[in-house]
Amino acid sequence: MTAAWHADLQMLSAYADGGLDDVRASSIEAHLLSCETCRDLLAPAVPAATIDRVWQGVVIATVAPHAGIVERVLLRAGVRDDIARLLAATPSLRVSWFLAESLALGFAAFAANVAPGGGADAALFLFLVIAALAPVAGVAAAFGPGLDPTYEIGIAAPMRNERLLLMRTLAVLATSLAIAGLAAIALPGFDRAAIAWLLPSLGLCLTTVTLATWIRPVVAAIVVAMTWLAVAASVTAARSDPVAAFRSGGQVLALALIVISALVLSRRRVVYEGGVAA
Amino acid sequence: MTVRADGDEALLRAVAQGDREALEALYRRHAPWLMVRLSRRCSDPGLVEEVVQDTFVAVWRGAGRYRGTGEVPAWIWGIGIRRLIDRLRRSPAAVMREVPHDEVSISAEDQVLLGVEHGDLGTALGRLSPELRAVVQATVLDGLTTKEAATLLGIPQGTVKTRAARARRELREALA
Amino acid sequence: MSLPTVEIADVHKRFGRTTALDGVGFDAPTGITGLLGPNGAGKTTLLRMLATVLAPDSGSLRLLGWNPAVADERLAIRRRLGYMPQEPGFHQTFTAFEFVDYVAILKEMTDRKARHDEVARVLALVGLEGVMERKIKALSGGMRRRVALAQSLLGDPDLLVLDEPTAGLDPEQRLRFREIVSERASDRTVVLSTHQTEDVAALCPRVVVMLDGVALFDGTPRELTDVASGRVWLAPERSAAARLSWRTPDGSHRNIGEAPAGADLVAPTLEDGYLLLVGDRAFAEEAA
Repeated sequence: MTAAWHADLQMLSAYADGGLDDVRASSIEAHLLSCETCRDLLAPAVPAATIDRVWQGVVIATVAPHAGIVERVLLRAGVRDDIARLLAATPSLRVSWFLAESLALGFAAFAANVAPGGGADAALFLFLVIAALAPVAGVAAAFGPGLDPTYEIGIAAPMRNERLLLMRTLAVLATSLAIAGLAAIALPGFDRAAIAWLLPSLGLCLTTVTLATWIRPVVAAIVVAMTWLAVAASVTAARSDPVAAFRSGGQVLALALIVISALVLSRRRVVYEGGVAA
Repeated sequence: MTVRADGDEALLRAVAQGDREALEALYRRHAPWLMVRLSRRCSDPGLVEEVVQDTFVAVWRGAGRYRGTGEVPAWIWGIGIRRLIDRLRRSPAAVMREVPHDEVSISAEDQVLLGVEHGDLGTALGRLSPELRAVVQATVLDGLTTKEAATLLGIPQGTVKTRAARARRELREALA
Repeated sequence: MSLPTVEIADVHKRFGRTTALDGVGFDAPTGITGLLGPNGAGKTTLLRMLATVLAPDSGSLRLLGWNPAVADERLAIRRRLGYMPQEPGFHQTFTAFEFVDYVAILKEMTDRKARHDEVARVLALVGLEGVMERKIKALSGGMRRRVALAQSLLGDPDLLVLDEPTAGLDPEQRLRFREIVSERASDRTVVLSTHQTEDVAALCPRVVVMLDGVALFDGTPRELTDVASGRVWLAPERSAAARLSWRTPDGSHRNIGEAPAGADLVAPTLEDGYLLLVGDRAFAEEAA
């Protein structure tokens, strides 16, 4: 189209230096869009080192991690971008995990709504148990050797492991509690029972984290969950009341667990730092 | 450094398939003029480099969206100028390129040259005040919206509109 | 300058009934120190201590002048430490870049752009610039080792602790590794473990031979070679006097031990010295 005409070198270098007046510059710009020859003539005006440096930037920007859904939500919520990355790498902070918890709770709530008589009681018990234990599983999966494959490198890094653990535990707790809270709305006769799992759940989580200073987190979680489940089930059966374990006695016990665990944990947390005799 | 003789469109198709070498070939071909052209619109070289980087990152991610209509350089420019405007919007403090006030007299030879490209329009544009010309350049030649032009030039949208209207009037008179 | 940057004194460590370290002690100055020893000698346990991951049961450690048993000093060490574990774990779904970036965050590199530049730098250093966006699970074993090495180089640490860094590398990569490490060693401290006497010969001005949780030898590679001086000879067959003997490609037998009179003595290698030391010890244990 414009092959007949080419800008001369002098004009191109004036253009590159920013010296050319706007009218001729516009003219050249329009021409450059369709003329490879003139584009090539202009190219040496930019230092090769600049071109290489920017290319390096392009490479890094294109291989740099893409934020997933969880990370984007965290960023939106104002979490610092490096912290968001660390949190997003937590196994129990993945969408699949949230889906699993929502499904389990949703199913229990649905059953509590439609099942007749005693079935509904069993479903309510199931709901409360799942709501209380889901955060425990999430917390156990959030840290420690075996689950965090980079554990050993992480220990040797300056970031306080204890801090990372705390952030992850809180994030897992927050999401789990939010999901359980939402699901509780679907329970029939929405009342105090709908949030009766809250204190027990916090108590069990804290106990797990504390116990995990001696034994592996997964083992700690299983021990805590099984023990509590056995107690809750037997109380429920003995009183033939689906929420027996969640009444005032259970709540006081949960509170006691929280206080004791917090005290022990404050003395034991140094174990999470590694490099010290446990 | 890779040297590929493929045409721009073939390179873009390869980039859409995740071919990094194709991206590099495209980059080495188009980054220089893009950088020069952006430098005329933003006097902060660091910002221009970031914009060029952004542009090719966008090319990498969006190569599949190129529909084969229009020239590849125009497509790249469209991305580049909009990235620049995005950056300016985020950091309005970034230095704007001042509209040059050095009125260069246009030689007879240049008149002929411009005639090839724009005919009488070139002369008419040359007679516009620098402020009006900058608006014409942004809205007509760079193809920006009023809002984008306002960000690029660092003036309110209303001013862009009034200047564009005045420029149109003056050009119409000059070309009549 | 010549002050030891790593001081280890009478360190003990038991895991249940197993004694991993049994009073090991040596100093390492600036430069590269190689730990040589068979499996189970306690190299990994010791290196984990140098990486502040593990605490000794007894004995003392000083790293870069700090005591890792004290929280603040431990943090100071960790800020200047690069550690490549023997079996680094990876988030399999991470790309090489994401993994190293993750470690960089743990190393307190908060500025995103600077961190990404640093990640790209260390990956290029180990020759992985072409696979930065490849998932870890899609990388070969040798490449994974190099990813692990790359993360240890983040931030150019003053103390580099490398556990079997050359395992799984091909000869070319091994050469490149030696280049990377020796370039950094002039004003930094590197402690690495290896099975390969060639690594030590090519890389380490100092070598410590470990066996059964103690440092059996501590000196230069030359000195380790000299251990076998006058104790290596070639014979048409396995010599009764030899502690160790093996058939060489030309059909004769290389014997090490107390050479009989008139033996055809040859110049020892580093490996001869090492085998003699470790073999000696192994023999002594058998007798006991």
